Amino acid sequence: MKHGRYPFILSFLALPVGLYAWLVILPFAQAFQISLTDWSGSSNSFDYIGFDNYVNLFKDERFVLPALRHTGIILVVLPVVTIALGLFFAFMLNLGGRSRQGRIEGVRGSKFHKVVYFFPQVLSVAIVGILWKQVYAPEGFGGLITGALGAVGLPAPVNGFLADKRFVLAAVIGVLVWSAVGFYLVFFSSAMASIPRDIYEAAIIDGAGRFQMFFKITLPLLWDSVQTAWIYLSIVALDVFVLVYMMTPEQGGPDTASEVVGGVIWKYAFKHGEQAFASAIGVVLFFAALSLAVVSLRFGRREQIEF
Amino acid sequence: MRNSNQPIFNRRNLFGATAAGLAASSLAACATSGSDDEVDDVTVGDDAENPFDVDGSAPLDVVIFDGGFGNEYAVAHQEIYNRAFPDAVITHLATQAIAETQQPRFAEGKPADVLDNSGAQQIPMDSLVSDGELAELTPLLDAPSYDDPEVTVRDTLREGVLTSGTFNGEVYALNYVFSAWTVWYDAKLFRDQGWTPPTTWEEMVALCPQIVEAGIAPWTYAGQHPVYLYDLLLILAGKHGGVDVLKNIDHLEPDAWRHESVVKAAEALAALYTEGYILEGTPGIDHIQSQTAFNERKAAFIPCGSWLPNEQASIAPADFEYMPMGVPPFDGSVQPGLISAGGDEPFVVPKNATNLSGAYEYLRIMLSKEGAQIFGDTVQAATIVKGVELDNPAAQATDALVSNPDDLFQPQFRFWYTKMNEEVRPALGSLLSGESTAAEFIDRMQTVADETAADDTIEKFHHED
Repeated sequence: MKHGRYPFILSFLALPVGLYAWLVILPFAQAFQISLTDWSGSSNSFDYIGFDNYVNLFKDERFVLPALRHTGIILVVLPVVTIALGLFFAFMLNLGGRSRQGRIEGVRGSKFHKVVYFFPQVLSVAIVGILWKQVYAPEGFGGLITGALGAVGLPAPVNGFLADKRFVLAAVIGVLVWSAVGFYLVFFSSAMASIPRDIYEAAIIDGAGRFQMFFKITLPLLWDSVQTAWIYLSIVALDVFVLVYMMTPEQGGPDTASEVVGGVIWKYAFKHGEQAFASAIGVVLFFAALSLAVVSLRFGRREQIEF
Repeated sequence: MRNSNQPIFNRRNLFGATAAGLAASSLAACATSGSDDEVDDVTVGDDAENPFDVDGSAPLDVVIFDGGFGNEYAVAHQEIYNRAFPDAVITHLATQAIAETQQPRFAEGKPADVLDNSGAQQIPMDSLVSDGELAELTPLLDAPSYDDPEVTVRDTLREGVLTSGTFNGEVYALNYVFSAWTVWYDAKLFRDQGWTPPTTWEEMVALCPQIVEAGIAPWTYAGQHPVYLYDLLLILAGKHGGVDVLKNIDHLEPDAWRHESVVKAAEALAALYTEGYILEGTPGIDHIQSQTAFNERKAAFIPCGSWLPNEQASIAPADFEYMPMGVPPFDGSVQPGLISAGGDEPFVVPKNATNLSGAYEYLRIMLSKEGAQIFGDTVQAATIVKGVELDNPAAQATDALVSNPDDLFQPQFRFWYTKMNEEVRPALGSLLSGESTAAEFIDRMQTVADETAADDTIEKFHHED
């Protein structure tokens, strides 16, 4: 029996590993190869030009550098805001309520709130984009926020939020947070549910307030979940493309004010006919994502607490 | 469990794995392999019925952009092709995802035979041309026309319609639809308000205060797509200084943007914003919203292409009377009749097409009287073929604007140089939303023009005369 074990296991692995190699690893490898050429994408001839694409990439003031800046901003803001809000809401819904007969509960109607917060997660990104494009529209064209601001006499951008260089990136990040927060609320809720109640009850007896309970008990015990959320959100941040494509003027405008790395790859590959240059940006993005994951796993490591 | 001393890969299964890997890589490598096959050029033979010597049994692969014009007309064209070659099997694909579906086929060396390379997902023409992926269309133009063997295909076309598909003197695209860029107004609104449609820019500016008084904004446009302002600005400048001003810009001549006519035109457009003559919120709306606002008579003028009335026919109020007035010229303009008009909707024949002669024949059918009239009847738009009859007043008025062939000119730099295209659109957007001044606009465009001119890696194009 022992003799035939490895071929047996290999026969199961061959198909998935083969598919993975063919559909994932090879295209990645090919992107490396293409990034060293001058391939336009609509021809089957090209020349190798060494690392020129990589050199030019960091000189591209028009698209690549703004895109790197914006993606960097999203990378910092999106995880921080989403995790902070997710934790806050999850804490309030699970533990934030008044304690009744020594039992800790969430705020009133927490089950209902959980469902409502999860709604955006159910919508497809395309629908989210169309929806928010209208929410952000100029006042005269049915914009909800501009209209509301105008109604209470506050200044609103006259051309809507998406056509204003100052607000467009923040507007996109706002939608990203809005659509992600519900998921992380549920994610953190389930992690909180696994924290034994007696720890909290002991804390209450010792006179701890909600604030202390959150920072001294909940957050340290949820550290693993926070770390996972951080990596997921970072990957989402690097991938932001669909919302920018759907919502912003000229898919990254006005005047590159909301350009992101994913969008620039698409622009170069399919609108400018510079597939090789696009591949070079893709390779850079690949290494950025990889090092991000490694770094956050390394530095986020903490002692495990068993309970 | 780990006491087995058998290696994970013995010789036999290692061999198998390597073979599988090789097979996978050869399948996936199609994007970066493949060779340029020798391609036979199509020549014009003596047979007027079948000048390209089409093999009647060869299949034909047609890809149509399924946009504003739909694809019914193409189905009708294919019926005509099948009338002549009943055995030919035609593959018809109507899609909006041109680059997505067709670019990989170019990369594989197996492109379609006829490709309508249009829409937002157009494969960039400049890269197709400089990669040598397209067949030159002179044989088609020199062939006898479908209806009269004495007349060549070229002579059945309107003047100047080949320009936009011509790259350094060689024709690589047949821009099938004839369209013009103009400023539109609602004749009924003007009649009711007692306004005279302005014939000059100065008259237009003088009328604006009256329009504002009536509670209507003088102008709106597709603010999210500032490309709608491209022809407005350039034709305004070209009318004032003559067509050479625009040719110099296209040819990336030094200081072409600093010409006084271009500066004057940029200042005039910027003034529309500073005077408050643009519908509030316009920079934040797209073409659908701006056209809807126009249909609702919230704005008096809108710059758009000649397809607009047909597109809006079922949307605009029943009493709405779309009228084109061209771009109102400045007083003292050198060439007041100048208009951006010519072919749109580029049909190309890939050089590596399997059925090259069939593709030429298909285009010849499209350019026949019957083929062109089918297009006119189904979508109410003119083709580049002379003598197509359209029965709506807006189309007839547009025809009057484009009657002088010497005044037809399409500014090309946007199509020739992707980099310039990426600069002019946001620059126009800033100019009309008050974010930049005319001087800043001119500087910005001159800078990118100079950079483009100095960059040896960019293939340069020029007008024929």
